[in-house]
Amino acid sequence: MLKFLGRRLVVAIPTMLVIATLAFGLLHATPGGPFDTAKRMPPEIQRSIEAKYHLDEPLWRQYLRYLNDLAHGDLGPSFQYRNTSVNELIRAGLPVDAVVGSLALLTAMLVGGLTGIVAALRRNGFWDHVPMFFAALGISIPVFVTGPLLILVFAVQLHWLPSGDWRGGEVRYLLLPVIALALPYTAYIARMVRGAAIEVFTSPFIRTARAKGLPTRTVVLRHALRPVLMPLVSFLGPAFASVLTGSIIIESVFGLPGIGRYFLTGAINRDYTLVVGITVLYGALIIAFNLLADLCYAWLDPRVRLQS
Amino acid sequence: MKFSLCLRRLAGAMLAGAIPLGAALLAACGGERQGPDVPAASNIRVGTGLAADQTLRRALDAMPRTLDPSLLTDVDAQKVTDDVFEGLTALGLDGSMVPGVATSWEVSADGKNWVFHLRPEARWSNGDPVTSADFIYAWRRQVDPKTGAEYAQALAPIVGAMAIATGHAPVSSLGVDAPDPLTVRIALNSPTPYLLFLLADSFMQPLHRATIERWGDDWTRPEHWVSNGPFVITEVVIGNRITLEKNPLYWGAASVRPTRVIYYPLETLTQVGRFMAGDIQFASIFPNSQFKWLKSQLGDQVVTGPYLGISQMEVNMLGPPFAMSHDLRLALNLALDRTILANKVREGLQEPAFSVVPPLPGYRPQVPEWASWSDERRHAEARRLYAAAGYSAAHPLRVQLDYPTGEDNRDVFDAITAMWLTNLGAQVEPYNEEFRVLLQNLRLHKSALFQNSWIGDYPDPFTFLQLFQTGFDQNFSAYSDPTFDALLSAAAQEADPARRFRFFEQAERRLNEEGVSIPIMYYTSRHLVKPYVKGWQLNVQDRIVSRYMYLLEHEGS
Repeated sequence: MLKFLGRRLVVAIPTMLVIATLAFGLLHATPGGPFDTAKRMPPEIQRSIEAKYHLDEPLWRQYLRYLNDLAHGDLGPSFQYRNTSVNELIRAGLPVDAVVGSLALLTAMLVGGLTGIVAALRRNGFWDHVPMFFAALGISIPVFVTGPLLILVFAVQLHWLPSGDWRGGEVRYLLLPVIALALPYTAYIARMVRGAAIEVFTSPFIRTARAKGLPTRTVVLRHALRPVLMPLVSFLGPAFASVLTGSIIIESVFGLPGIGRYFLTGAINRDYTLVVGITVLYGALIIAFNLLADLCYAWLDPRVRLQS
Repeated sequence: MKFSLCLRRLAGAMLAGAIPLGAALLAACGGERQGPDVPAASNIRVGTGLAADQTLRRALDAMPRTLDPSLLTDVDAQKVTDDVFEGLTALGLDGSMVPGVATSWEVSADGKNWVFHLRPEARWSNGDPVTSADFIYAWRRQVDPKTGAEYAQALAPIVGAMAIATGHAPVSSLGVDAPDPLTVRIALNSPTPYLLFLLADSFMQPLHRATIERWGDDWTRPEHWVSNGPFVITEVVIGNRITLEKNPLYWGAASVRPTRVIYYPLETLTQVGRFMAGDIQFASIFPNSQFKWLKSQLGDQVVTGPYLGISQMEVNMLGPPFAMSHDLRLALNLALDRTILANKVREGLQEPAFSVVPPLPGYRPQVPEWASWSDERRHAEARRLYAAAGYSAAHPLRVQLDYPTGEDNRDVFDAITAMWLTNLGAQVEPYNEEFRVLLQNLRLHKSALFQNSWIGDYPDPFTFLQLFQTGFDQNFSAYSDPTFDALLSAAAQEADPARRFRFFEQAERRLNEEGVSIPIMYYTSRHLVKPYVKGWQLNVQDRIVSRYMYLLEHEGS
């Protein structure tokens, strides 16, 4: 187990290095710089700004400087927001995405998981067809439609909930974004769990359990649940990494101060450090959650051994 | 400020598919036309007394990159600094210039030397008196290359400013001085009638030296903030809100009614939802494409007016096919049906433009004669010029039209190229490119035909005509004409405002004859405003300050 963990962590370092290098290289390769505006500034001023951000140095030196800072946990100054560091932006924004994202995924797991199992148990019946119809809708309707729709119904027409904004996690402000973000995940999980459950329910060991006369509840909870959750676990790893780094659409539709939007605004503004910083963070989270998913695998399925 | 305008519309355009277009493209409707009387989403009853809660909730198009008046580059930051700082002059209710920290001023006969007298009761938010030294400090800081102010050239009319900004002269040589704490003198390179507008700009607002020297770049954080305007900044949450509170030490505080102003940076489309839910009262923008639908939903809450900006195309004067072919340039100009673009494609939201300078008080619009011709006559003349330039059905003009991605304007360029194809047979291909990539190509003069929209920095023809001046940085068409340049320098030396405008009018006529610019439409400022928000008027600069605003009693939101 420890050996497995250690090996995975050692492999993570070159992976992170590749991610950081690619992000850094691609961003610097795009035409235009962070301080290009339609009005061209006098060259002396340009030089003064570039010197401040070390943009006057050769690219390899900027790269080494960046790696060195990164190794010390410093993601550098943001170019887009003057006098603000990328660490500061992430510190302020990550909790917002973490709260909204994990609540949404938890909701999706509970609702989607239950729906999927019930649908599998009632295969081809009403409780299968109707939820699966809505699941198909949930997967195919994008968040930039459901988000404004939720606002239209619950904020504009009914005035039950605010149309957006963030007040330090106040529940009223959380409901709509969490629902909007949870919807596609719920739908996806419901379909996935249903598929896995049907496969498991028809497998010999469940037939054996039923043949022994066990009640459905015991069969499902004790024997079927673990193997049903297997595909879910491999899905949830990257899904958690993704919601933690924020959804551009959810954040802009509901005006949440998360970090997802920086992917877009940072790239448009050529905010090198901000985009590379968030990409590196995303990479680190994916590696961490995939590792966690593998550990869960071993726990769920005794056949999986933690070797490499 | 073209740059931020491009950016702020991008995100909105990305999401623009989300809400359906309510109405079809039926008839043209004027910008001032009334909508239906009973808007569905707003059953608001407005009383006559003041509302108990005077908290203004306004939207910004995007999060300002900085709130330091010397360093800011976007119109969003300027909206905030307009509320928290006050220059020698300030914006009046109608957008005209009114006395700010200065109570009176004199100008020399040659229009080059100005003296301003400051009001003794002006105070910083920490209680210090506002003195002439605070202005001198701010202006020197603005042009000092060490400050790294991207818009240092905003001070170019002042003697020595550009020499300092380019590192050729010491900061102390700036043509400003303070003979006593309540007097500021400014020496200009040439008569600059729009100086009074410049003085109200962020770049010329005073700064509290002790605060900046103590905290360095951190002075803009709310806990260190010191300013001299009607409001002060008390909270900044990046990507979410900027909160201002009334500044009780402001000299005019007695007439400022909002106790708090909250600015929310929101994408274009998000603003619409927030506004309709009653969570913001003053939207800074709405999507072009939703104009009619919003009118039908919100009626008079949809507010539009002229904005000091033009959407135009320009041709490259350095090479083929346009440099040598005056006929071709005019043919493209004449073949464009601008009223259809403005009234049908834009549903009457914008005004057709036939010339580069938008309407300005005291300035005579230089509309070319052909603008009033019938479509048939104009198209026939366009075809004649096109043929004279050597093009035909067998040998059509093939060129690419470059425009920046995301300005909610693709429909317009599709329509334009369709018009050129139908009316001339020219095969012009619209091609959108990310703003910074396009900007780099324009600087290298790589593009033959391109959009170059322009927002004026102050209400004066010069800011628009300068685009075509020889040697000007943003003269992307590389147009260079001694006659045109001579008219601009004659205007620059002219102290009499009326005669100065006559020179500009001649210059603009010359530009029209040359056909270097292909104007499309003048921009429109567009807002959503709750009926109980009073104390504001539209102005061409679209700078609507919070200090005159107040909220009436109301039911519903």
